[in-house]
Amino acid sequence: MDCAQFEEIVHDIERPGTEGFAQREPALAHAESCADCARLLTGLESLDTGLRAMAAAVAGWRAPGSVESALIAEFRRQKLASARWTLRRQIVALGAAAAAVLALGFSLHHYLAGRSSVGAPVANPSNTSARKTETINGAAGASQDSANVIDSDGAEYASFVPLPYADDPSALDDGTVVRVEMPRSALASFGLPVAAMESDGPVRADLIVSADGTPQAIRLVSQDASSQ
Amino acid sequence: MTPTTDLADALLLRRMAAGDEDAFAEVYRQKHPAIYRFALHMTGNASVAEDVTQEVFMALIRDPKRFDPARGTLGGFLFGVARNHLRKRWEQDRRLVAFDGDPDELRGGGPAGRGVLSGNGNGSHGHPPLRSALPASPGWDEFASVEAIGRVRQAVSTLPENYREIVVLCELEEMSYEEAAAALGCPVGTVRSRLHRARAMLVEKLRETRAVRRIPA
Repeated sequence: MDCAQFEEIVHDIERPGTEGFAQREPALAHAESCADCARLLTGLESLDTGLRAMAAAVAGWRAPGSVESALIAEFRRQKLASARWTLRRQIVALGAAAAAVLALGFSLHHYLAGRSSVGAPVANPSNTSARKTETINGAAGASQDSANVIDSDGAEYASFVPLPYADDPSALDDGTVVRVEMPRSALASFGLPVAAMESDGPVRADLIVSADGTPQAIRLVSQDASSQ
Repeated sequence: MTPTTDLADALLLRRMAAGDEDAFAEVYRQKHPAIYRFALHMTGNASVAEDVTQEVFMALIRDPKRFDPARGTLGGFLFGVARNHLRKRWEQDRRLVAFDGDPDELRGGGPAGRGVLSGNGNGSHGHPPLRSALPASPGWDEFASVEAIGRVRQAVSTLPENYREIVVLCELEEMSYEEAAAALGCPVGTVRSRLHRARAMLVEKLRETRAVRRIPA
């Protein structure tokens, strides 16, 4: 080991885990043969002794208790503030959740209201269906008592009369009602008494049509009712 | 620092973050002496050292998540915070730079002497006199040792800040190069080279002091 190498590692010869510590023996051997390096080593040993004594002298020093008291007080204050903040956040979160639920409910209400108003025309067929059933029932009765049906809006309908070739009795219950306009003479093809009709103008009638499109029953719609 | 210590620190910090006051008290009692001594060595003023210690732990209370175990030990983190506080103070008030005069001027406590470490190592907050803190080994020349320690302290206090902090951490607080590097936020090689330079400066200063004392009055 030369002097440069000695100077490079001499500060670490007492520090475990360093290159200097690993080279301790060669360094000490070099110092025995070199007056300058021996002088440096002596100075450093003296310094280490002084530093160790200094470290030992101050090792027991502590900050006064007032510092700990102030910090504990601050810790409690922060804890309280944090708890308040958490509570505030929970309240805000609950409020936001409640607002969201209200908004959702409001939207749903609007949606359903809109749907029912849009659905009103759609409901007519079911009303029609109800009327139809009513009428069909009435038609069944009409075949016995020939009574016309007047619905709630004042339109007057003749009772449904099963057509002679009707082959689907279930259509009277679940068939589709189709309103048609036809020449009066065409009524004869449905087996209705055309002779009783004085003119050959168009007439309006409701047909119950089975699933395959075959008319199953017919009723005449008065001109007043059809014009409404 | 050992992995066991790190784990214990992490557990204490977790409890502390959950609001456990006992955990904070434990962290403080374990870690504050080193921080306080560091601040005291760096400033030479006990009042400032108290303030810095308090600020360091206030920062930990206010934001414990600032400490990232992946980046180093809790001790290293606290030293880093202390160092930042010290630098801010030095920037604000250059008068707090380490005492650079004769320690004898402060002995007995003048207006400037309150809380300033004197050459015999006595602080102002009931710290034990240096004499009683010295090891009582057979043949120990007590008076000479106290004087020697005073000279070493004086030499350390006159080092430039970036050399002084390395000496305090690596020599007085017995940190490894790696721990000091983590605390100071610099490479291990920088710590090593600065420490070597600081030690060489200290040897030179102590030699000069001895030479001056040998000169007859």
